[in-house]
Amino acid sequence: MSILDRSGQPARSLTTRLFEPPAIGRMAPGSKFIVYSLLIFWAAFVLFPIYWVLITSFKLPIDVNRGPVFLPWVDFTPSLHAWRELFIIDYEDTLKAYFNSIVIALSSTTLCVLIGSMAAYALARIQYRPKLGTILLFVGSMAAAFVVVGRFGVDWRLSVAVALAVFYFLARALRRRFKVSVANGDILFWMISQRILSPIVVVVPIYMMFQSVRLLDTQIAIILTYSVVNLPIVVWLMYDFFTSIPIDLEESAQLDGATRITTFREIVLPLSKAGLAATTLLVMIFSWNEYLLALFLSTSRAQTMPILVAAMNAGERGILWWSMSVVIIVMIIPVVLMALVLQRFIAKGVLLGAVKG
Amino acid sequence: MNGKQEANGGERTAGAAAKRLSIRDLNKSFGAVHVVKDLNLDVEPGEFLVLLGPSGCGKTTALRMIAGLEEADSGSIHIGDTDVTRILPKYRDVAMVFQSYALYPHKTVADNIGFPLKVRGVAEAARAEAVRDAAAQVQMETLLERYPRQLSGGQRQRVALARAIIRRPAAFLMDEPLSNLDAKLRGYMRAELKHMQHELGVTTIYVTHDQIEAMTLANRVAIIDQGVLQQLGTPRDVYGNPANLFVAGFMGSPPMNLVEGAIQNDRFQSQGVDIPLSGQDFAGAATLGFRPEDAKVVGAGEGLFDGRVYTAELTGEQTLVTIRMGEATMSIKMPKGYDVDFDSEVGVRFGSEQGFLFDTQTGGRIEARVVAAS
Repeated sequence: MSILDRSGQPARSLTTRLFEPPAIGRMAPGSKFIVYSLLIFWAAFVLFPIYWVLITSFKLPIDVNRGPVFLPWVDFTPSLHAWRELFIIDYEDTLKAYFNSIVIALSSTTLCVLIGSMAAYALARIQYRPKLGTILLFVGSMAAAFVVVGRFGVDWRLSVAVALAVFYFLARALRRRFKVSVANGDILFWMISQRILSPIVVVVPIYMMFQSVRLLDTQIAIILTYSVVNLPIVVWLMYDFFTSIPIDLEESAQLDGATRITTFREIVLPLSKAGLAATTLLVMIFSWNEYLLALFLSTSRAQTMPILVAAMNAGERGILWWSMSVVIIVMIIPVVLMALVLQRFIAKGVLLGAVKG
Repeated sequence: MNGKQEANGGERTAGAAAKRLSIRDLNKSFGAVHVVKDLNLDVEPGEFLVLLGPSGCGKTTALRMIAGLEEADSGSIHIGDTDVTRILPKYRDVAMVFQSYALYPHKTVADNIGFPLKVRGVAEAARAEAVRDAAAQVQMETLLERYPRQLSGGQRQRVALARAIIRRPAAFLMDEPLSNLDAKLRGYMRAELKHMQHELGVTTIYVTHDQIEAMTLANRVAIIDQGVLQQLGTPRDVYGNPANLFVAGFMGSPPMNLVEGAIQNDRFQSQGVDIPLSGQDFAGAATLGFRPEDAKVVGAGEGLFDGRVYTAELTGEQTLVTIRMGEATMSIKMPKGYDVDFDSEVGVRFGSEQGFLFDTQTGGRIEARVVAAS
């Protein structure tokens, strides 16, 4: 087959005309049609549930039970019935859950990002070489202290103090014997390994722990749990961001006379804005949507929005589709707003021009 | 090592703040690698000292130890009368220009230059004044509101310099500051750097692997190889009077021609070479060295030894003739009008002052002269 036709132009069959791009970086009409068809299909697939939730929230129970109808004013008459029920008649329960969700998401995210990013910075810039033996010794002496408290009813303060003293002297005596040490990479891996376990594995121990300190069904219990659960993700992500900042910048700041804290505040933090924003968003969304842990840790006072949504499913009146839709909509709104605000910071090219010509 | 250590101090104007910098028996190892070995250096107030060596020779590590970014294993560093060996960088009163410039990308040019004063708590107004002064010194006063990413390589370099000079430190430390610039700009910035250091009179230690930078900038050059100081002297000294084989082979472009052979009965002998020597009593494996620009290509039999022309390249200002003699290859710079046929038999001649002899085993200089037949 010749590449050129009789007039000296490249030969163009129907298929080439449809699927060969007119220039590099442009799309052929045929490919364009296929790609857009797939995208429209996918968009409908993704957007339909949201549309469904939106119209369902304006339906009367009778409209829902009548079967699938989708067009307001045509198939059914929109009504504020469900909205009124949740925000005027039953407003206490709804607002309480909403308020709980906001407080828990904000506090746990703040706590977690604060502690996590400091830990990540330390891991990124300071070399740790703790001895494995010392760590095991510490864990061992603490375990012994708890056994003594549990079996012999010794005062826990005394027990812990004795255990700490024993640990201190043993560690000093045995320091030279311990050969194996762990490094930053091991610490990081150990942290992320905490996320490999499914939450269901730890949920019962966590429940019993908070039960024994009488913190069940409080915001504090959920905030602490979420912070700890999210910490590995924050450390892992922020470690990556911090190590991508050229060390020259920090060394230069130190030579310019800055302290470590000043360097962190003036140089490192502004340069990791994008990372912090992305991490915050991720952690916030997790806290906002989390269901399983909240289900175990709250019964009524500390109930969050996901629990409220699930509750619409289990009442004696059957599934309250209309109320559930209202709650889902008010739950989506803050997340969308957050994403809009934070995506401004998630811009690329922040480090451009730092080093190299 | 060469005995001469005095600098060409006549052209130096030490500033009031300029301080002496002394390094004693400095050592540093990274794991099993001994990067800096027993380094001793005395830098005079206001002197421009260049640490020169191939990459990985330990010169940057030495500089980083002076800056305080790397901890010394042993030895001491004094700036002025203060022992700074074990104190943090911020207490050392040194300013460093990094190879990467290390400009703060989220700060404007003005904020970059003013940062050292800001962290010292200098008031806003005084700071702005100082920033303008420093920026004017590097001709950046019109670009103060720009961000580093909006600047060219040369401009970034200037900002880094301004940030170093703004607080009048006891010493400047520069780690290959020109190596990221293109060749033309590098030559220009080199001249500017030299002028600025002369004006400010601040003690400067400059690390480079580029011998042209070392020759042109330095009051004295310290040549380092494998963590060991090879020679310390004026540029003229290390070029014209190399202390050992390494220095001879490192300096010059192309470097000194080296012919391996042996000294026996007061004669240097190699394949096709037999030259009488004077003023020595060495015997054993030796290397004869001479600079490409010191030698001449002459007719066969008229020089110290004969060889065969391998290539002749006109570089513009001169003709570089490569001659092979047995295993050895040597370059000789001839005037640009010179021409010679490839493969022709020629002689090589240089004066008795221009031949250097080294002990091949130890690399050390042998104080001997070539007896050059005129």
